[in-house]
Amino acid sequence: MNASEELTAPPSADDTNGLEGVIVTQNLCRAYGDKTVLRNVNLSIKPSEIFGLLGPDGAGKTTLMQVMAAILDPTEGSCTVMGHDSVKEAYWVNSHIGYMFQGFALYDKLSIEENMRFSADIRGLSRDVFESRQERLLKMAGLFKFLSRPAGNLSGGMRKKLSLCTNLIHEPRLLLLDELSLGVDPASRKELWDMLHESRDDGVSIVISTPYMDEAEHCDRLAFLHEGEILAVDTPESLHRRCTGHVYELSTDDRGAAHNALVAHQDTLSIRHLAERVHFQLHTENHIAEDLEAALKQNNGVIEPVSSSLDDAYTMLSGGEKSSAYAERPPKIHLPERLPEGGRIRTEGLTVRFGDFVANDHVSLEIRPGEVFGFLGANGAGKTTFIRTLCGLQPITEGDAWIGGVSIRKEHRRLRNHIGYMSQRFSLYPDLTVAENLNFFGGIYGLNRSDRKKAIDWTVSVTDLGDVKDNLVADMSGALNQRLALACAIMHEPEVVFLDEPTSGVSPAARYKFWQLIQTLAEVGTTIFVTTHYMEEANYCHRLGMMHQGRLIGVGQADELIQQLPPEVGATTIEDMFLAYIKIEDQRLESLGFEAEQTS
Amino acid sequence: MKLHRLFAVMRKETREIIRDRVTLSTAFLFPVMMLLMFGYAISLEVENVKLGVLDQDQSPSSAALIDAFAESRYFKLIRHYNSELDIRKSMEISEVKLALVIPPGFNALVGRDNLPEVQLLIDGTYSATALVALNYGMSIVSGFKDRGDKLIKIQTRIWYNPSLQSVIYVISGLYAVIIAAFPPLLTTLAIVREKESGSIQQIYASPLTVPEFLLGKLIPYGFISSLQLASIVALGFYWFKVPFTGNLAYLGIAGLIYVFCNVGIGLLISTITNSQLLAVLLALVVTMMPSMLFSGFVFPIYAMAEPVQLYTHIFPARYFVDLSRGIILKDAGLTEMIQPLSLLLGYTLFVFFAAVAIFKKKVA
Repeated sequence: MNASEELTAPPSADDTNGLEGVIVTQNLCRAYGDKTVLRNVNLSIKPSEIFGLLGPDGAGKTTLMQVMAAILDPTEGSCTVMGHDSVKEAYWVNSHIGYMFQGFALYDKLSIEENMRFSADIRGLSRDVFESRQERLLKMAGLFKFLSRPAGNLSGGMRKKLSLCTNLIHEPRLLLLDELSLGVDPASRKELWDMLHESRDDGVSIVISTPYMDEAEHCDRLAFLHEGEILAVDTPESLHRRCTGHVYELSTDDRGAAHNALVAHQDTLSIRHLAERVHFQLHTENHIAEDLEAALKQNNGVIEPVSSSLDDAYTMLSGGEKSSAYAERPPKIHLPERLPEGGRIRTEGLTVRFGDFVANDHVSLEIRPGEVFGFLGANGAGKTTFIRTLCGLQPITEGDAWIGGVSIRKEHRRLRNHIGYMSQRFSLYPDLTVAENLNFFGGIYGLNRSDRKKAIDWTVSVTDLGDVKDNLVADMSGALNQRLALACAIMHEPEVVFLDEPTSGVSPAARYKFWQLIQTLAEVGTTIFVTTHYMEEANYCHRLGMMHQGRLIGVGQADELIQQLPPEVGATTIEDMFLAYIKIEDQRLESLGFEAEQTS
Repeated sequence: MKLHRLFAVMRKETREIIRDRVTLSTAFLFPVMMLLMFGYAISLEVENVKLGVLDQDQSPSSAALIDAFAESRYFKLIRHYNSELDIRKSMEISEVKLALVIPPGFNALVGRDNLPEVQLLIDGTYSATALVALNYGMSIVSGFKDRGDKLIKIQTRIWYNPSLQSVIYVISGLYAVIIAAFPPLLTTLAIVREKESGSIQQIYASPLTVPEFLLGKLIPYGFISSLQLASIVALGFYWFKVPFTGNLAYLGIAGLIYVFCNVGIGLLISTITNSQLLAVLLALVVTMMPSMLFSGFVFPIYAMAEPVQLYTHIFPARYFVDLSRGIILKDAGLTEMIQPLSLLLGYTLFVFFAAVAIFKKKVA
């Protein structure tokens, strides 16, 4: 075949044909049928930088990545990768880049070494080079001791690290990483980023897409992608600076009144309901209109300017988001008798064992009604088992748990209609419409006809699903599905709602709307139990609990938990805090003579 | 084409096949089960076909003919009729399958130049067994006629399947159907699975070329399917006692080409489907089902209508049914094999090159 097929040495700087960028896109468009996914994308990615593509699901990140990898042709415009056209010289581009698809694109039946070997063999790497690189990479990733373990038996974090290693083995000058840290816990995420920084320092250019603001902070430069268009390209710091002076937080006794005052005012750009405060952005810089200030200061309101986040910048650039009126409170429907202690969750020495494996180890915890409780933990830390136990789906080995004063051990059946559960993979029926899904779940919870109507009217209005009531679920976006899943979980007005990473991958606007509703539910006494990997979501929780190897290693408010750490740790973010607690626990276990297990 | 890349894909595929229980059982357990099930279930055997007789002659000759029927193991005489009307009624309620009518004057004609005529009426509801039963009936009659004529008992000789065991006929055709069923299914899934998991995107964004990737899949799956064919042929020989009169090497060559043809069809299907479910359905609909109906493995092609006969040519199973029966039962040589074999080879090449042409290293 032709000469361009030959694998040559890594391209030198000359390969860029005089163009400055490693990747240059010009008026790039991509459509699927009538649907335009990318619109006039103009980007220039520099050598040796980590370039982030930030945007919610459906913004076009994956499509853009695929165009850059030359495995998808643009419908208009062009994309030049290291000086080679992505359409005409697709094979050259394919051969010279590293590309990692968001899923776990490994071969489960092959061992770690065999996966590495395959990636090296199809690129003609010699055995010596392979051996030395493999050892270096896998040691860095902490995988070297598991060489012969099948990829299918690795945890999410380990799989991501292995995927990255299979892409680094041939030392491409350009790495395209689509949602690298999807489903990865903070500890593994940190290791992944360490590897990326090392590659960048070796001169590799990296493009990484992510829906997570906290991850985007680590990039050298960022592009905000919104509905297929680039909103802005800049460093994270400059993006922050764009909305400095626009961002405030308010603590008040009446969220609802403050919310409605903000919505009514023309200066308001966005409103976000955190656990204790209301975070808002204004069009005006360093100035709050007098009438707005007066309205907000009622009900003991205290306004404080705060530093801005990427979230704020994204919201501002995408045109702001003022959700409509504050969510109404739930209607009175004929509920089954309420639980004696409402939404109180209490566990005492709760232990769940699978054979020799202890999934939950003497967990004692109390959550008061109306609390938004965030539950953090790495993959495999025991979060899912804990929730399954509280939902009465998992037999308890030792101890007990009570919801609203009812023992799960003895009477978990009684709790069925008092619990709402929204899983990560929303369990909706794709071939039914929104209204049909709601009707079905209303039926399951045993609501009578008139109650069901009341409940559906309310959930549809508070989740803003009125316009799409007759749409098929299969045709709706991720954000809408997420709201419908929530609607299905709360329509029977349960005392406790469990949420599993509820807002990962949805746009900031949709996330604000979601959490506003959650705060409303908490105000009427519903207990909200959230499991998450994402520190962004932790901001919305009153208290946090951290789980590690089945044990609860810390419970409290975020700032309290940070203060309790020794000062030399220097933790400022929730992510640092979480990692510090895990480290302390591992050291404690080690001093007791336990070998710290690989949990990432 | 770079061999090191081709070998890399082949190594990877082979490891995945060996370690996947579902693939292995689909490759070896299911075909054996199918062979056993069909070998026992599909019987074209006609034994003890219920027989009624209307003897309008009532002569020694007619009695002898009736005896000839009653003594054969194929028929069981259960009724004597008095009129044609009785026959009709009796057949309507399925009391008998076959009725023998001996006209008046039969005795007088036996042994003369004029051919004595008898009438055989058959219930044609299930045509395959009906035809066989009718053939048996005619052979008895002709045997009887010859005996009367020359006073020598001449045996009817049945070729290729001398004991007239339908199992030999069914099994030698079933090899083709089984190979049309499982290898395409396995191969299709092997690629569509990669599409679903997204690992195929890693393949797209790599120096692998389309022929390297497809051949890398084709060869290991072809190899495993050849073992599959060998295992069922062995089972047919040792368990069902299908005689093997032909040349094993010929069967090997024909089998290999046929196997790769089917694996190639699997590749072709996988290039146009993106979900495992659709792939499985498509594989069943385009390979297994038509190969049952149109390969001639049970339903003889010569008995089909002209257009349908033409239609059967698009299914490679029909060529292999001819080939495997030819080699196994008739000791067919190169001259008989050359035509179906070259058609099969052309088919295989066409399918593979079509897959290469359709398969693009693009996600959309």
